[in-house]
Amino acid sequence: MIDAETYKQFNITGKILTDHRYNTSHSGNISMRSGGKILIKRRGAMLGYLELEDIIETDLYKTDSGIMLSSTETDVHRQIYLNTDAMAVIHAHNPFCVILSLLEDAITCLDAEGIYRYRKIPVIEVENPAGPIDAAREVPKVLKNYPIVVVRAHGVFAKGNTLYDALQNVTGAEQSAMIRYYTMMTGKSLKRDYSKEKYFSEW
Amino acid sequence: MEGMNNQILHIDLSTERMMVDEIESQTLLNYLGGRGLGVKLFTDLIPRGIDPLSKENLLIFSVGPVTSSTVPTSGRFSLVTKSPLTNTIFHSNSGGYWGPYFKKCGYDCLIISNKLQDEDRGYIVIDGNNKVEIKDALELWGLKTSNLVKKIKEIEGKNSQVLCIGPAGENLVKFSSIINQAHRAFGRGGVGAVMGSKNLKAIVVKNGNKKFPIKNKEYMRKLNVIALDKIRVVPITSQGLAMFGTAALVKVINLFGMFPVRNFQSAFTDTNLIDKVSGEKLREMYLENNEGCYNCIIKCGRMTNTGEMSGKGPEYESLWALGPLTGIFNLKEITHANYLCNEYGLDTISTGGTIACAMDLQKNNILNDPNLKFGKEEILCNIIEKIASRNGIGDELAEGSLRFSRSHDALDYAMQVKGMEIPAYDPRGAFGHALNYAVSSRGACHLTGFLAALEILGVPKLVNRFSVNGKSDLLFLKQNQSAVEDSLIVCKFVGYALGFEFQARFLSSILNREISITNLITIGERIYNLERLYNIREGFSKKDDTLPSRFLETPLMEGPSKGKVVPLKRLLQDYYSVRQWDENGNPTEELLERLSIKRLV
Repeated sequence: MIDAETYKQFNITGKILTDHRYNTSHSGNISMRSGGKILIKRRGAMLGYLELEDIIETDLYKTDSGIMLSSTETDVHRQIYLNTDAMAVIHAHNPFCVILSLLEDAITCLDAEGIYRYRKIPVIEVENPAGPIDAAREVPKVLKNYPIVVVRAHGVFAKGNTLYDALQNVTGAEQSAMIRYYTMMTGKSLKRDYSKEKYFSEW
Repeated sequence: MEGMNNQILHIDLSTERMMVDEIESQTLLNYLGGRGLGVKLFTDLIPRGIDPLSKENLLIFSVGPVTSSTVPTSGRFSLVTKSPLTNTIFHSNSGGYWGPYFKKCGYDCLIISNKLQDEDRGYIVIDGNNKVEIKDALELWGLKTSNLVKKIKEIEGKNSQVLCIGPAGENLVKFSSIINQAHRAFGRGGVGAVMGSKNLKAIVVKNGNKKFPIKNKEYMRKLNVIALDKIRVVPITSQGLAMFGTAALVKVINLFGMFPVRNFQSAFTDTNLIDKVSGEKLREMYLENNEGCYNCIIKCGRMTNTGEMSGKGPEYESLWALGPLTGIFNLKEITHANYLCNEYGLDTISTGGTIACAMDLQKNNILNDPNLKFGKEEILCNIIEKIASRNGIGDELAEGSLRFSRSHDALDYAMQVKGMEIPAYDPRGAFGHALNYAVSSRGACHLTGFLAALEILGVPKLVNRFSVNGKSDLLFLKQNQSAVEDSLIVCKFVGYALGFEFQARFLSSILNREISITNLITIGERIYNLERLYNIREGFSKKDDTLPSRFLETPLMEGPSKGKVVPLKRLLQDYYSVRQWDENGNPTEELLERLSIKRLV
């Protein structure tokens, strides 16, 4: 049973992701661990307008019949929970993160907030970027050591202690990616590149 | 037409004469094959008002342009006849390998007419080496299906594919099935009784080796790569159905308060109880291995073993009908009952639905048979045997819930539409799905327009299950799509992974000409309306497009669908309008002209 506070967190998180255009009307998925289960967005539901019935419970440790209803990327979420310290997971299609993933092997943060929080946002490449099978195998490996990862050409998977924590990682990473993108677009060299001073590429 | 043999094999059982006719290319372009072709031929050939169990009824088996191709799930084939359960036109389809084998023998369609002499019993053998025979089956009559298939394979060779009836079909049980290779079925509607009424025990195909070269082979190859990728990626096809079979739906449907219990008295079951009959439990307790049809990678079939018996299934609907619908939550008993239905050749939904109806009558003191109590698991297999052999009360039950309840002056206890028992989704929990039950041309059917895909599973997108606006339009689309899928023919489960646009592209590749989605939808609409015209000619009307009063007047008392009843009047009004039918449910002249079909006389 989903309690009112949990529903509220899902609702607000989903709405922010949609309002910020990190997803299309129906894409993206969010989840949290709860009592040995995963609570996750229902397939086909609109992230920005979640109803109580749109949050589905499925087993944390193995695939169960909840897979008939839960998000396509449920297995990625499950593997993140089983292999990292994540308590909540968000998958979104952040446009600037996706753009930079097409060009770079990591998104090095240039802005102070990004430098403070992420330093570098890893980018991984999988054979089938739209499907969950490869991502379920590769994403958790990266999220063991990073709060967020970009799957090239697809989108981000972010973890957090709570949904709001994961949400901050998604929005923060996108902010950093946007700043980096516009900075690159100017074609000018940086007055001061903190990323080089702090060896972010080795982070 | 490309992809087809363009040949009909006609077998007259009375004269034992066989004839091969050519199918006109335009007929195939207008109706494709499978259900569409069967409906077209049936409505052309069958006289008005025949008794479904008389020799005048026809059995029309058809394959489609996709059958036996490399398209995923291309193993299905279709049957059209008049149902003894509903008296409507009736289509059913089945998977496995019989359809591709038949097509490879050089035919697209098999029309069986008349009946063998009263003292004769026979089976048909269609050999790919241009040989068709009717063989004596006197010694096979009375055999249950698995034994029969074994014996026929001993005679005809281990690679032969066998369609047959069990004792239930022989005894003209109104909801007997034709069993495909001992554990698949042409279910619903009593098609087994039609075959039994013709004294025909089995139809065997073997030695087919004809190939169907695809004109646009490279395009087909690319489509298959994309399609298989999608099927492997989408969790419903790659995990849900593969791991738990259709029984994956047990907990899912219960979650929404739509899992009917005790003859639809309730639709929500406590977690502890539902776990006893879930797809997970079936997997954990009895699953031996998965089984798939011809060219299928989903493999939703369950080969199971309880330690005492083994066989196939149960599928979701069977598990539900033989279990919770009758108040039984003992998975082993349910599994054994399912095996028994396959052995006798009984439709599991109608078997469970009719038994549940009788239990409801008993509970309400209308029937006096203490054995027929909800939850009395020890009598389940015994009742099934009685139905199949028409023994004792089984003889009454063998008529189906409508006739049974009518004979007790208690029609409201039969959960049926047009005589066919309602499947495993309480209509009060999803209004579009409810509408499909009411208007389906073959009676209460979940497959002719599975709106629960949108209302529950969110495929392709989620729609509110209790809304009314737009539901008729969506149902119109889904029913037309479904008629096309049944005519190509592909399994409905690929629809969870592949959009309808794939079907248009697959067909374009086979025909080597562009077929649009719109073309296909119009074909589906034509098929659906022709079925409607047949039913109208047989006396069906608006009054039959309804649901039992329980769903219209009695709200559910608990669970996530609590308080709901089906607003059928409004839904129906919208539906007739969307279909371009008049207020009485008759297709308008303008519609018939657009679809190039005529009223049946």
